[in-house]
Amino acid sequence: MCLAKNNKQFPGLTYLFSQATTGQNTECASIFFSRSCLLLFQPVLGTGNKYYLQFTTEDYKTRENVGTCLAIVFYLKRKPTPTVNIKCTYTKDQKEVQEDDHRFYQKIRQQTKPIIGSYIPDSYGNIEPAFESAWALAVVGSSYIMWEKSTENLGYFMAQVKHVKQWISKDDSIDFDYAVLLHEIPTQEMILCHMRVIWIPNHPLKVKYFCSSENQSAESEDVSGMESGSADGILNEKEANF
Amino acid sequence: MRLLLFVSALLGAAWCMETFSGDQVLRIRASSGDQIDKLQLLETLEHLQLDFWLHPSNPALPVDIRVPFGSLQAVRAFLGYHDIKYSILIEDVQVILNEEKQEMISNQRRERSNSNFNYGAYHSLDAIYKAMDDLAAEYHGLVSKIQIGESYEKRPLYVLKFSTGGPDHPAIWLDAGIHAREWVTQATALWTAQKIASEYGNDPSITSLLDTMDIFLLVVTNPDGYVYSHAKNRMWRKTRSKAAGSLCVGVDPNRNWDAGFGGPGSSDQRCSDSYRGPHANSEVEVKSIVDFIKKHGNIKAFLTIHSYSQLLMYPYGYKCTKPADYRELDTVGKAAANALTSLHGTSFKVGTICSTVYQASGGSIDWSYDFGIKYSFAFELRDTGRYGFLLPADQIIPTAEETWLGLKSIMEHVRDHPY
Repeated sequence: MCLAKNNKQFPGLTYLFSQATTGQNTECASIFFSRSCLLLFQPVLGTGNKYYLQFTTEDYKTRENVGTCLAIVFYLKRKPTPTVNIKCTYTKDQKEVQEDDHRFYQKIRQQTKPIIGSYIPDSYGNIEPAFESAWALAVVGSSYIMWEKSTENLGYFMAQVKHVKQWISKDDSIDFDYAVLLHEIPTQEMILCHMRVIWIPNHPLKVKYFCSSENQSAESEDVSGMESGSADGILNEKEANF
Repeated sequence: MRLLLFVSALLGAAWCMETFSGDQVLRIRASSGDQIDKLQLLETLEHLQLDFWLHPSNPALPVDIRVPFGSLQAVRAFLGYHDIKYSILIEDVQVILNEEKQEMISNQRRERSNSNFNYGAYHSLDAIYKAMDDLAAEYHGLVSKIQIGESYEKRPLYVLKFSTGGPDHPAIWLDAGIHAREWVTQATALWTAQKIASEYGNDPSITSLLDTMDIFLLVVTNPDGYVYSHAKNRMWRKTRSKAAGSLCVGVDPNRNWDAGFGGPGSSDQRCSDSYRGPHANSEVEVKSIVDFIKKHGNIKAFLTIHSYSQLLMYPYGYKCTKPADYRELDTVGKAAANALTSLHGTSFKVGTICSTVYQASGGSIDWSYDFGIKYSFAFELRDTGRYGFLLPADQIIPTAEETWLGLKSIMEHVRDHPY
């Protein structure tokens, strides 16, 4: 039985899910959407708040159920990052997931020209088939940013890929530069994040990012060209422990 | 003898007309019973092909005759000879007929264009305003367009009024697009307008509703923001009001209402997307609605449409306590959400604003509720974050259809529970 509060989607939990299901060094970058349900909210006097969550996860493309998790998320006072205890069960076969990942990887590697685009989806909600994979990868990368940035009272959704540019790498990795807009709740702000995503199947996702609030630049016109995401002072460079 | 002369002249003048070109309608004022007799004689002369719209009976009443062009000279001579006074009611009947035909053609065109209007697409403000005009024209007996004010940039704030007449009808208020980037809401409101209009006379529930209540629908609450979201920044939320000494523009219109104004959940920073404004009702878009509702004095429900998150909420947002009518509002809300879900399986959560999303002060339904409008609800339409504000256009009509069931459920309850 779900409680009313926080009864909505937590995209950051896709990261949680991946972390839980395949252990510390997860190897998958499959894209999932999670729907969470708060089972219990338990304030711990003097220490913090405990949230008992149940959530199901579905494949972003096929919408098929991938797995279910039970998580205890404990927000300690004065510490933004919570401790997480999570147990998941897969409904989808792990081998299948790996094969999906490979297919995804091959599709991008087979590009003869680097993928470069803007405003995905566009103003009318359309995603060109050619940009679907790039959009999906942005969701995964963004969920890592959201996981790091979110707090007990601050959450995010990826609103739009503002710009994407693929780098053709000399090695086997796929390499994308992004400018993504994150919708911040409850402030309603649009946060602009520059994000670099590098990935090879069977390896953890690499995400570097730098975020700023769009509003601070007052009435800035839309950036027509691609900002050099990498050069612009990378503050956060971590490997996502997928 | 002279009478015979005139009669034969009249006889000779008659001929068959195919059009009404040059025909005139004369209004004749007989001054005596004798003159009435003369006019009755005129009526017997069939060859003149006179078309009496008002027959001669007594001198107190006028006599209207459509006189074919060919008979005009004769009839005028007849009336002149007998000193019967008349005036020309219609100079040329064909001209009137042509005008009427034009109107019918343009009406048909408007109807055709209205039925060709693509409700399943996102439109510019101008296109939406035109569609509203077309709707009001097509259903002119039921729908009228009224202006309740002007936006900051002087765009008209148009409300569609659905009314079957009656000066003291209680009314339901509906608004959409208070936040510019929530495009599915303006689109849903337009579809809903068409739905209400077409259902009157067909759906017994809506017919009985409109027979006793009016509906006011503000399709684009924040036109400046909407235009800006098309032209410059798709993610724009606020109004476009400017303040001296600030680089940042706009106020969050749903933090600007006089309900816990300035409290938690709204920002005092001009550049913030939830900036509350310098004071309550500082935004003309908000003040116009407040003034309208106060002036009307008989609004029984206040329903506002937002996106996204799939929620149906009632007060309060500015405080985290339950409203006095909590039980009833929750029941009504849950029934509406169930009706909504029944169509496409879209699930909605129901609850107070504070417990469902977060504490937020200065919101519209808190104001309307504290003002005395018991049935105050806020919808958050599709989706739950996958596309968010950028909901694909092919979801507009399914969203509008399911939302309609929810709205209808609430409106029926309002109709059946007068207070």
